[in-house]
Amino acid sequence: MNRTASAIAATMLIAGCAGNGEGLDQNGRPVDGGPIPLAPTLASIQQNVFTPVCTRCHAGASAPLGLRLDEASAYAMLVNAPSVEVPTLRRILPGNPDMSYLVQKIEGHAAVGGTMPLNSPPLPAETIAVIRQWVLEGAAQSSASLDPQTPAVLAAITPDANAILEKAPAQIVISANVELDTSSLNSGTVSLIRSGGDGSFDEGNEVEVPALSFEIRSANPTVLAIAVPASAWVPDSYRLRIAGGGAVAVADLKGLAIDGDADGHAGGDFVTDFDLGRAQ
Amino acid sequence: MSARMTLVRILLAVLCLSGSGAAFAEPYFAVQTGLKCASCHVNPTGGGMRNEFGSAWGQTALPAQHIDTDGDSWTGKVSKYLSIGTNVRATASYTDVPHQPSQSQFDLDEARLYVELSAIPDRLSVYFDQRIAPGGSTNLEAYGRYWWNNRTWYVQAGQMYLPYGLRLEDDSAFIREVPGINFATPDQGVQVGLETGNWSAQLAVTNGTASGPEEDKGKQYSLRAEYVRSGWRAGASANFNDADSGDRKLANVFAGLRTGPIAWLGEADYIIDKGFADGERRQWVGLIEANWLMRQGHNLKITAEYFEPDRSVAEDEKNRYSLVYEYTPVQFLQLRLGARLYDGIPQNDLDNRTLAFMQVNAYF
Repeated sequence: MNRTASAIAATMLIAGCAGNGEGLDQNGRPVDGGPIPLAPTLASIQQNVFTPVCTRCHAGASAPLGLRLDEASAYAMLVNAPSVEVPTLRRILPGNPDMSYLVQKIEGHAAVGGTMPLNSPPLPAETIAVIRQWVLEGAAQSSASLDPQTPAVLAAITPDANAILEKAPAQIVISANVELDTSSLNSGTVSLIRSGGDGSFDEGNEVEVPALSFEIRSANPTVLAIAVPASAWVPDSYRLRIAGGGAVAVADLKGLAIDGDADGHAGGDFVTDFDLGRAQ
Repeated sequence: MSARMTLVRILLAVLCLSGSGAAFAEPYFAVQTGLKCASCHVNPTGGGMRNEFGSAWGQTALPAQHIDTDGDSWTGKVSKYLSIGTNVRATASYTDVPHQPSQSQFDLDEARLYVELSAIPDRLSVYFDQRIAPGGSTNLEAYGRYWWNNRTWYVQAGQMYLPYGLRLEDDSAFIREVPGINFATPDQGVQVGLETGNWSAQLAVTNGTASGPEEDKGKQYSLRAEYVRSGWRAGASANFNDADSGDRKLANVFAGLRTGPIAWLGEADYIIDKGFADGERRQWVGLIEANWLMRQGHNLKITAEYFEPDRSVAEDEKNRYSLVYEYTPVQFLQLRLGARLYDGIPQNDLDNRTLAFMQVNAYF
């Protein structure tokens, strides 16, 4: 028994002590506004489920299957995004929790793999019910993040800005922090050009990529997925431009033009570049 | 000649031929025996299918009792060119999370099927590690491998577990979960390995997407080296994932030491991750584990783990303590009875849960 006691003592001593949590929220981050009760909103689910439970694995560069569930990525990665494991299903299909792959995974009856969260106790039934309710009600982005007083600011979700891609992306995904007027999204306001082979967009030899198609990935339109015909992809530098100024601009539901250049004021084009590096 | 004697002779013969040794399913077996992972596993970095020697060791040296099977014994070899194996784990668990109703449940953790096709035995093979349950079938490993220079060097290409640190069976261990390199996150690419008398080293270049679709040009580079002696071992690993969503750098040192009947394992990892929405995080993870071989077939495992989620944030550290009794009554069957105590910040109930479990593991 002395040997066992020595082994226990040694291991405990080396482990040290847990933090006392002073000044931190439930996710171990410095306090910022206090906890949000569990409710069928993205902000609540993010703070109570995705961040404390899911991002233990699903965050950063090595997130399993490329699924990042941190606050900045979760909505665009989930809502109407196709599952990698079962591509015929959407990770979240607004209005239909039974056909949402994330719900199937946390309930433990998905066609592939084990119940999520892996290696942890299943989510309580009450938590799953709240997530189902959020999906059933349309899987809206949190109203807390939709500030009606400021113009929409856009962000490139995939590809990341200045990414160097090895193969053509399935879709170009852009998110906005404010609901957009979908009628303003068309080939006149959203354009994709390639450099013409010289990597520069100032030489006058740029080529416009034709036949873009648009998909709004949520009931409250904040995630825009742009599909490009496979035949249009060639190795080159690409620039996506979403008009925020000029005669025709993309606007939010109040008619306020997007803040494309993120200077705090409406107006200015949103521009994101990426390279497709290898021959297809 | 009895089956047991046959197995013992096979064991001794392979030991003599190999000049080094074997591990079996968990790194502490390797430390207890002073052997290398490659001696017992088809995958030189451990885990998954056992080879002929590993199967023999698991039937003779591991269990408390060997049941005679009429002079014949399982080796996994269907023919000179085809070998198969399997692992099935089922668990009954009780979880107590503060301020929540306790949960108890039965789970089929995994049922895996291993197949190795050797077109040129000991030189060219194709290997599959397929998880067939729970849920639908999922491929974990599938690669072709070529050995040369008397099985000193190999190259393999396909989908594989990445070489990094101690390959613990428990994916929920902080040192496996936080770095994100574990049995749930194989990756696709190519690996070159070196196996000499005392050295084991691997270099892998993979997509860096944990089997997800590759959408950027950056790759993940994994380097692991281990020096093995009969009573101790030490090694180091490094991993760099060049990703558009944020670079991630990992490095660790790990070691094993045998002191009488106790096999010690230790690992410390440092992580720099730029993939978080709020910027870069620097993290520490550590593990120390004592495995007391009370007598053949009976092992008591005591583990303490440490996790510092963000060095720039004070008082956010987490610990996990485990006490697990492992009983291997007969060959191919292991029972585990254990408890894990999570110790985190008081605001997070899940980080302060207590888990008790009983697990059945069938392996052959």
